[in-house]
Formats: sequence, C-alpha cells, structure tokens
Amino acid sequence: MSSQLQSIEVRVEGYRDVWVYCEHEEGKLTRATTEVIAGARKVAEKVGMKVVGVLMGYNLDDLLMEPIYYGADKVIYCDDQRLKDYQVLPYTTVLSEMILELKPWALLFVTSEIGKDLGPRVAYRTKTGLAADVIDLIVEDFVMNLPTGRYIYKDCIAQVRPDFATRIAKIFTPKHRPQISSVRPGNFTPLPRDERRSGDVVRWEPRFNDDDFQVEILETRKLPKSDVMLEEANVVISLGLGILRDASGRPRDPREAYRMAEELKRVVEEKFGVKVEIGSSRALIYAQLKELEGLITKDRQVGQTGKTIAPDVYIALGISGALQHRVGMQRSKKIVAVNIDPGAPIFQIAHYCVVGDLYDVLPRLIDELRSI
Amino acid sequence: MIVLLLTKAVPARTTRVITVGGVLRREEMDLVINPLDFKALQAADYAKRFNGGKLVAVSMGPDFKVKPLFNDLYLQPIEGIDEGYILSDRRMAGADTWATAYALALGVKKVLDVNRGAVDELISMVESGELPERVLQRARELYELNLIPNLLYTDKPGAPEGAVQRYAGGRSSREEVVEALKRVRVELERFLIVAGLKTSDGETGSTGPQTAEALSDLLGRRIPDITHVSWFEVDAETGTLIAERKTGSYYQKIRCSLPCLITILPDYRPEVPPVSRRKRARAFSYRSKSREVVVWNADAIEADPSLIGLAGSPTIVGPGIDIGGVPVQKFLGTTKVFTSKVEKFDFNGKTYGPFERFQKVEGLPEELIRELESKGLVKTFDLKDLISEVFGGVLAAAKH
Repeated sequence: MSSQLQSIEVRVEGYRDVWVYCEHEEGKLTRATTEVIAGARKVAEKVGMKVVGVLMGYNLDDLLMEPIYYGADKVIYCDDQRLKDYQVLPYTTVLSEMILELKPWALLFVTSEIGKDLGPRVAYRTKTGLAADVIDLIVEDFVMNLPTGRYIYKDCIAQVRPDFATRIAKIFTPKHRPQISSVRPGNFTPLPRDERRSGDVVRWEPRFNDDDFQVEILETRKLPKSDVMLEEANVVISLGLGILRDASGRPRDPREAYRMAEELKRVVEEKFGVKVEIGSSRALIYAQLKELEGLITKDRQVGQTGKTIAPDVYIALGISGALQHRVGMQRSKKIVAVNIDPGAPIFQIAHYCVVGDLYDVLPRLIDELRSI
Repeated sequence: MIVLLLTKAVPARTTRVITVGGVLRREEMDLVINPLDFKALQAADYAKRFNGGKLVAVSMGPDFKVKPLFNDLYLQPIEGIDEGYILSDRRMAGADTWATAYALALGVKKVLDVNRGAVDELISMVESGELPERVLQRARELYELNLIPNLLYTDKPGAPEGAVQRYAGGRSSREEVVEALKRVRVELERFLIVAGLKTSDGETGSTGPQTAEALSDLLGRRIPDITHVSWFEVDAETGTLIAERKTGSYYQKIRCSLPCLITILPDYRPEVPPVSRRKRARAFSYRSKSREVVVWNADAIEADPSLIGLAGSPTIVGPGIDIGGVPVQKFLGTTKVFTSKVEKFDFNGKTYGPFERFQKVEGLPEELIRELESKGLVKTFDLKDLISEVFGGVLAAAKH
C-alpha cells in the first residue's frame, strides 16, 4: 500500500551544528561530558556540521579550551557571577535564548541531575522534543506514512534508548529543532585530550528575567566518593538475604557467597573483557551483617530506593524479587535468577531461572565458565 | 495550602506491553500507580499535614483504567489524597513528555482556578455589600464542596468558628472577614507540586520539570522546579521551601519561594509534622475528602488540540527493535530446548517448525518431544546452555 503513496522529502532548514552542554566540576569537564562530545562528533561528521561545546558558570577562563581539546570545534560560553551554581531558571533562560538566536541542529546533555532538569525545561521553552537516557545516536531518515503521502524527514538523529526489557526504541524529533537528548554515561569513549586542537571561543552575554532568581543555595556538601559503578557495569551480580542459608536450611557465612560472587566477577571479567559489579538487595544492606561490613554497602543497592540499572546481564542470587527490587533491574537485558523458592517473585521476570541452592549452583557455574 | 501530586498509571508488567506503532495502549494493559509516586505521595502528604490544606492528585490516562487505582491513593496509611482529577481523552493519547506536561499544567491550573474562584467570589460578595446571611449561605455551599478551608467556615466540633460565620453572626467586622479571605487567597498562590522522580514506563524524569515550565507559561510567572529532593520543609506561612537535593557529586541545601515543583528521590523519608503546627494546619484544612474522582477531557481544560496527544508531541517513537527476543523463560534442568536449527517437518499429519537453535520447546505433543530427544534435536536446558546463551550475548554486546 505504501508503494502507492507519493514520497515527500522534508528537510528542516536553517539549523546548524551539534551542541554539547558541558558539565564541569572543580575546573574540569566531567568524564560523562567528554563522552558526549565524542558522541556529538560521530553525529556531526555524518552530516558535515560542527561540534559546539556550551559552557556556563562563573570564572570559566581555565575551562574554555577544554571542550575543544576533547573534540569540539568551537565553544560558546556564558560567564556570569549569577551562574556560579547551577539553578534551573537562570540556566534555562540563558540556554534557551542562545538556542533561539543561534539555532543549533541538535543539543546533547549528559544524563545527570543537571541534564535531566535543564534539558526538559529548555526543550519545553524552545518548543522542541527531548529524548532522555539515550545510549546511541545514529543519523538516518525518519519515514512516516500518512494518508496524504510517505513523508521522509531527511537526516534526523535516531536517538536510541532502552525500551521495555528486551527492546531498544529509536526516538525521533522529525519536525522540530534542535533535537535534544540526554546521553547516558558509559556509552561513548572520550576522545584523547589533545592540546594541539584549536577552535573559536565565543562569549555570550546573558539576559535574565526578573523572576529567574527565586532559589538560593544555603549549603553545599560534597558527597562521599564511591567506586561502585553499578550503572556502568555490563554484568551485575546481586546478592540477597537468600545467601544466609543453604537448601537444607543450614545457616551459611554470607562471606562465602560474597567470595563466590567475587570469583564469578573475576572469571567473567577475564573471559569476556566486560565490566562486572556486585550489587545487593535492600534487605541485605539493611540487615547490616557484621560479616559483610564494608563489602555490601549502600552504594551497591539495586531497586526503588537504590539504583535503577539495565545491564546486559543481571544475576540475582538469593533475591526473592520484591516489586521494589524489580523496578530497579527489570530492564536488564538478560536476567538470571538463582533461588531455592520456586515461588519467588523474581522468577516472574527472570529469563533464566535456576531453582536451586546457590551454594551448589555457583561453584558449578564458575567452573564451567573457567573451562571455556 | 494546596499540594498537588502528579501521578501516572503505568503498565504493571513491563514484559507484557502492548504498543501500536510505538504508542502504548494503556487501555489494554493492567496498570498500577507508578511505584515511585508513592514516595511523592508521602512527601506531599507531609507537606499538607504540616501546613493544612488539601492533597490533590492529577493524572493523565484512560479514566476507566486510572480511576480504580486512585483508591490506592485515597487509602494510604498516611492521610492520602483528598481529591483526584483524571485528564482522559482519546485526543490526549500518545503524548510525549512535552504534550503530557502541557495537559497536566492545564489540569493543575484548572484545579487552582476553581479554588481561587471560590474565595474570589466570597471576597467580592463581602466587598460589594452583599447581605451577611447570603455570604454565609454561599460559604456553607463552598465549604461543603471542599473549596474553602475551616478558617473561613467550619462545621467541625470544637474548632474555632469560621471567619464568615463570625461575620454573619455580627461578631466580627467586614474588614476582619476580608482579611481572613485574603489570607486564604494568598495561601492559594503558595501551592506546591510534587512528583515522583520518574515513571517506571517512560523512565525519563522529564515530565516534572516540563510541567513546571508549562505552568510558568500558563500563569505568566516563572515556577522553579527542584529535582532529586531527598529532604524538604515547606511553610505556606512564609511561602518558602527549604530542600536538600543531589546534584553531581554534591548535596545542596536550597531555599526557594512558592509556588514550586519538586521531584522526590526514592531515599526520601517522611517526617512527622510537629504538634505546634496542628492549629494552623486545621484552620487551613478543608471539610473532607472528595471521593468522587473528577474526569476532565481536553475541552474541560481548554487544551489547544494541536498541543496535546500525538499531534502535540515533538518526538515520535520509531519502530522498536528487539535486541534479545521476546523474554522466554527457561528453567535450568526442566525446560527443553532445540539443540540445533530444525526445518519444517510433518508429524502425525501436522506440520511443525521451523525451530531455531536454543528455542524453547512449547506446545508440542509428548510423543514428538520424545522422538526429537532420541534424535538429539531436543535436550534439557543445562548450565552449559545457560552460559552460552547468557554470556554469548554479553560478548557480542561488548564487541558492539
């Protein structure tokens, strides 16, 4: 049927360049920002456009060239005392005005507390679309079959994001510009920092609204640093309260299970060259077991009150899978569950179900993996 | 204080999602209230009990699906919501976050307008010299509709007499009643909108900030949003909110003027409002819960048809791509799988197949399974198979 439709090519004209909103902390671009610059390069080169780093803040002098060193062609910056700390209203005003005047073709944020706040507001104010949590960016035509014809929107960005468990979805913003996305950390490799790179650095003079300053920062506190990178791991091995007993009901030292999980982590990392991290259910963390002190910490918690993750493989060991846990991991691409109780709710969503004793299954699994 | 809770009905199981051309068919799925919205509900409930007022839930979705779920919101161990509004209209289906924010903002504005209208009506009645008995009668009607708080009119035993009641009884002056009415009117402008951090279906977390932006447009004043709030205190008396939120590798404590919108981190723990706030809270509270959930369509909220639903959505979801196949469950040691690709074949006059390697054996006659097993084409799923399926994919993904 669609072959009878008349093909109509649509190009949205008048917009150029791929902008990256550059987040910085303590005088440095964040790693995630350098990743997004690399993602922007991939797209910009495909369509023959430039990558523009957008910097906002106060006392930015030492930072101005950094986006260029990491792969941008140009920097637009707004340096103003009133932008010293991130605040949604003045930042939205400045960035929206830049967009409306300079007309970028695309604008990429990092998926972060700032990107997930500023991105949506700017997209609404500039009346364009936003794709959140994007994991890849691909330039392609978007085709829409309507009764009036087959509309081909040329050179759009397919903003790829995870969709319900085993699918990915491509989000398009065919008719509006800029195409705005927030890009999840861990999906692009930063380009090597190269101080020989050069490019234009352009200053932007801000104009604010009277009611942009309704928020006042009373206190700023640095969060304790965590080495646990659950969100970036390809494989997450999670432990639950089930590790406390084996199939016979005999109490087991939870350190035994933890050591096996670590062993599994090591083997998978070695064999497949992927990132593996150990996670935990809320119950195990809140049990505050002496044996697991310093091992199973709050930053390993997966679930509603912990982290929401979608690794390639999620291995749930002795986790019954309360709803609060499942919302934090149900988007994992492959879910393996090991549990003694065949009625455990985790088996409702697991793709690979092992009804059995983890103290028996785990050593066999590790041995099998070793023998590959 | 009016505290508005933005909430959404999401698919109960993400493994059984029905879409047509990338658009969720909510009306055909089992829905539940978005799990993170219960945190937002606790936060909103705390804000309401601290200040008095009412907790109003606003949601967009097919009303016959969402309405039953609102019962969960009324019946929380905490006080729960007092009023519920569902924006339901086929024309709103397929909305992305932009079009959702626009519709929600219109819904919020209408809730505010109705409440403002009630107080404004009383103010103009008193100021135009309407008979005190008439004012009293109207105040009683509005009170019974839960549109004015106990401060103005009350039937609560033991509560101080309402300002309009005192006025009608000749126990206070016109100036005093106008002052009380204006105090309530000011309070109505100091509303708080609370939303969950994100929904379990869209997972974007964009609708909160965008609703604040959309409402800013509609009200002609900038309404700030504070996302990722882990702790907050809000005082309608001073019109300020103090919140702690996470941003980057920092915690910030910030002060913000009302109205504003906050999204709540899952770590949030509600506190108990101090006893010293009780009197104030009672004065600004309303008569009762309105258990009749109100449904508004696009016309009722005066939505621009070009800005709602699919038509109003700048983003379009392209065709989804399966990256791991439909989730098929395999049980170690019990599930039978094909050991290799098997082309179409006939068995006892029926045609079967084709089957892929590792495909789960489902719905085949026992006899046939036994025969396939004897030929080595079907086997029981074991640990080796699990490893090759699970980690084979990881390897491919990592290389990609």
